[in-house]
Amino acid sequence: MGAVPWMAPGVVPGAVPGNGRGGAGGGGGAMADPRRPGKVARYKPPATETNPALEDPTPDYMNLLGMVFSMCGLMLKLKWCAWIAVYCSFISFANSRSSEDTKQMMSSFMLSISAVVMSYLQNPQPMSPPW
Amino acid sequence: MAHRAPASPGRPGSARPFPGCPVPAVLPAGAAWRGGHGLCGHRRGVADFVSFNVDSCPGKEPGAVPGAAGSRAAPAGASPHRTGGHVKMKNLYLFIAFLFIPWSFALAKYDEFEDGDDIMEYDDNDFAEFEDVSEDAVTESPQRIITTEDDEEEATVELEGQDENQEDFDDADTQEGDTESEPYDDEEFEGYEEKPDASHSKNKDPITIVNVPAHLQNSWESYYMEILMVTGLLAYIMNYIIGKNKNNRLAHAWFNTHRELLESNFALVGDDGTNKEATSTGKLNQENEHIYNLWCSGRVCCEGMLIQLKFLKRQDLLNVLARMMRPASDQVQIKVTMNDEDMDTYVFAVGTRKALVRLQKEMQDLSEFCSDKPKSGAKYGLPDSLAILSEMGEVTEGMMDAKMIHFLTHYADKIESVQFSDQFSGPKLMQEEGQLTKLPETKKTLLFTFNVPGSGNTSPKDMESLLPLMSMVIYSIDKAKKFRLNREGKQKADKNRARVEENFLKLTHVQRQEAAQSRREEKKRAEKERIMNEEDPEKQRRLEEAALRREQKKLEKKQMKMKQIKVKAM
Repeated sequence: MGAVPWMAPGVVPGAVPGNGRGGAGGGGGAMADPRRPGKVARYKPPATETNPALEDPTPDYMNLLGMVFSMCGLMLKLKWCAWIAVYCSFISFANSRSSEDTKQMMSSFMLSISAVVMSYLQNPQPMSPPW
Repeated sequence: MAHRAPASPGRPGSARPFPGCPVPAVLPAGAAWRGGHGLCGHRRGVADFVSFNVDSCPGKEPGAVPGAAGSRAAPAGASPHRTGGHVKMKNLYLFIAFLFIPWSFALAKYDEFEDGDDIMEYDDNDFAEFEDVSEDAVTESPQRIITTEDDEEEATVELEGQDENQEDFDDADTQEGDTESEPYDDEEFEGYEEKPDASHSKNKDPITIVNVPAHLQNSWESYYMEILMVTGLLAYIMNYIIGKNKNNRLAHAWFNTHRELLESNFALVGDDGTNKEATSTGKLNQENEHIYNLWCSGRVCCEGMLIQLKFLKRQDLLNVLARMMRPASDQVQIKVTMNDEDMDTYVFAVGTRKALVRLQKEMQDLSEFCSDKPKSGAKYGLPDSLAILSEMGEVTEGMMDAKMIHFLTHYADKIESVQFSDQFSGPKLMQEEGQLTKLPETKKTLLFTFNVPGSGNTSPKDMESLLPLMSMVIYSIDKAKKFRLNREGKQKADKNRARVEENFLKLTHVQRQEAAQSRREEKKRAEKERIMNEEDPEKQRRLEEAALRREQKKLEKKQMKMKQIKVKAM
């Protein structure tokens, strides 16, 4: 059957719909609907610049550490440095926030991989354990 | 001297008079001696002379042997041999010449090296196989070579030899070599200790064995560290995927349980702030692999509600390992922002004692308004684990009604903290003194922190147990709107707030004065600039006069004020 708006149950034609009782209230007797579609506020992401203590610094530290280790591994030709850089870059990726751009993550990852590859190209001997 | 008896008298055809001589004494019929004859007309080889098994031949008479001088070693008891004639001499000389060639080589090498140690290495090559040098003694040489570190010239050569030999001989051999070297006394081989051994080993291993670098060997075992590293990385990746999925499942389980309740209370469920229109996304907002947000809005009393599901970092292997030491649990944090008109002015908190102590130190409003230590809630029937922080007793009385107490007692294990505050501004900001010129903005908020049961090992089913807590939140929102302080309470609250503001202003008085002073100076400088820039001299003079007059007026005003104060004081 054709649904004519003013024939819809529960809505009296001519009544002002926005009288504070929004939503399909149905029959009387039910509790007043607490919803207020008119009073909707938009979501604002909490500004993290004002609350630096709330932020988790792990991904930033790990990123920096990864870059330092990979540069060490490249310059000083230390294999274990390069491997630790790979690990740091992975940890940074796992802890990263979605708002962070992926470019930085990818660049640190690529740098660490290149450090490992270069160390092995220059000196194909297997890595010796420090003990 | 008697002849040496033939070796096998029973076999005339194969009689061999000399042990080392393969030539039979009696030639078979028809055969003739070829080549030169030896001392006894008997064809001989060089070996005969070395071991000096030369003895009388059966066909010759024993006699003096003039050729005996040609042989080096003369075993005792050897019968002298009669010279056979000049042919024999010729052969002898040929033989001597033959010997001279290697001898001269050895001598030449003698000149090259000054060290006596190496002479024997090359000298005894030809004779090494006849000496009774056991294999085990050879292993002694590498070790001795190592110990003789005085040789600078030959250090590398000797070490190479050591490297070659070291790989061939086991430890057992070297130990045996220690005992076997005893027959070689130092007196015999002064300075030539290694020679027989080294030359012997050299003869035994004419192929030099080079120490192959590990990366050229066809064995993956030498790369065990790399394999370990790659395995660790794979384990990390596996844990990342598993942890991420688990957190995802938990979040969606929570949302499915609570969806109905939320949708019946809020017009907007789920908003990420990016859409142009305010439509419900009906989905959780994933901020991180372990943090999920949900924004609900559109209800009486409150502006909005932000729910944060703060799970443990299951996707990070390091965190997982750290959690094995220190157990922690997932948390659900709810922050309800109230409308200004819907909440009265009070600060109140309930929670575990540890959490309240921490909050009191961290939170700006709790530290300023709730000066007492957390009190036990036993008076109201709360379990011992919970404590109360409140601005004044009246607030506590008003908040602790039957239903609230029911909620708190039944779900005490899941409640970490509940905070109602009209002066909420977040945690204390660590700022320098100079920057704090204004009180931080405050908002009327209700904060709830719940622990998910399971202490880390949660399953999606545990999310259902959090549903009653959400009902408590909704109830609290309504209650906060309904609760109003009476007159006394309101007065006390206002006094508290005024006191806090005054304290703050006193602290920043100096800074504000300095700020005002600098602003005034800026204005003066700007005016002076304007006067200077005026080109018309007339205008300049007029502006200067105006500025002077203004300053004079100010001075007069100040003097008047001072006079007035003095009069009043009197």
